Amino acid sequence: MSTDLAFPVLFVASALVATGVFVVAWRRDLTAAIAGIPLIFGGAGVAFAGVSRFAATGGPPLFGQEVAALLAVVALALVALGVGIAGRGTPR
Amino acid sequence: MDSLHAIGFYVSAAISVGGGLALAFLPGRGSRGVALAATGLGLAGLYLSLSAGFTALVALVCYAGCALLVAAPHYRVIDNAVGGLWRQVGAVAAAGLFALLAFAAWRGDFFHAIYYSGDFGSASVGRLLFAHDALATEAVGALVLAAMAGATMMWRGRGRGR
Repeated sequence: MSTDLAFPVLFVASALVATGVFVVAWRRDLTAAIAGIPLIFGGAGVAFAGVSRFAATGGPPLFGQEVAALLAVVALALVALGVGIAGRGTPR
Repeated sequence: MDSLHAIGFYVSAAISVGGGLALAFLPGRGSRGVALAATGLGLAGLYLSLSAGFTALVALVCYAGCALLVAAPHYRVIDNAVGGLWRQVGAVAAAGLFALLAFAAWRGDFFHAIYYSGDFGSASVGRLLFAHDALATEAVGALVLAAMAGATMMWRGRGRGR
């Protein structure tokens, strides 16, 4: 894959971050709004992975992939914490 | 351009962004969980097309977990006290953020490099995680442990109080 996809990768990452912010702002119930957090983190991860794929960075070449993997784990932890804080209740 | 990679990238991008938009509008927990799972699938495809196979695997597992949590039937619904006007302001702010980030992506540039690592890269990423950036990995591990323990305590505490 050539570097022609560098702009589309960053564009899709921007779309994912903005979609996550939109989900957090738009959902009426807070427990559903939590689901926007993985989108925001996923967009950031795609940007990191894309830059490490296409750019000449000063650090290790796979640093972006490492950060993207860590962001996915943190997103899972935050969703679990949010659902745990909400506690048990009746489904809707 | 390798057309197979490009097709995979654009299909994965459409799935992930479409899943995110469905997450915003679909009613019901099950459908929201499916939308989040589709987003995770699209994200994994994006990582695969960026030659980040190990990250794709981690993202697939983590987003499947997120989807299961969102689709679970037993958590309480907490209604937002913010009115409709502020939700619309938030939506417009999200659109403005997208415009800003897309403009930055369009105008930004960097020195391009030839990628010579493999398609999966588990050994290289593992070396980074456990040798080069071990402190960051331990910090994220501690954060995950604290979040899981806190979530379990709150879940059990609320359930015992009923």
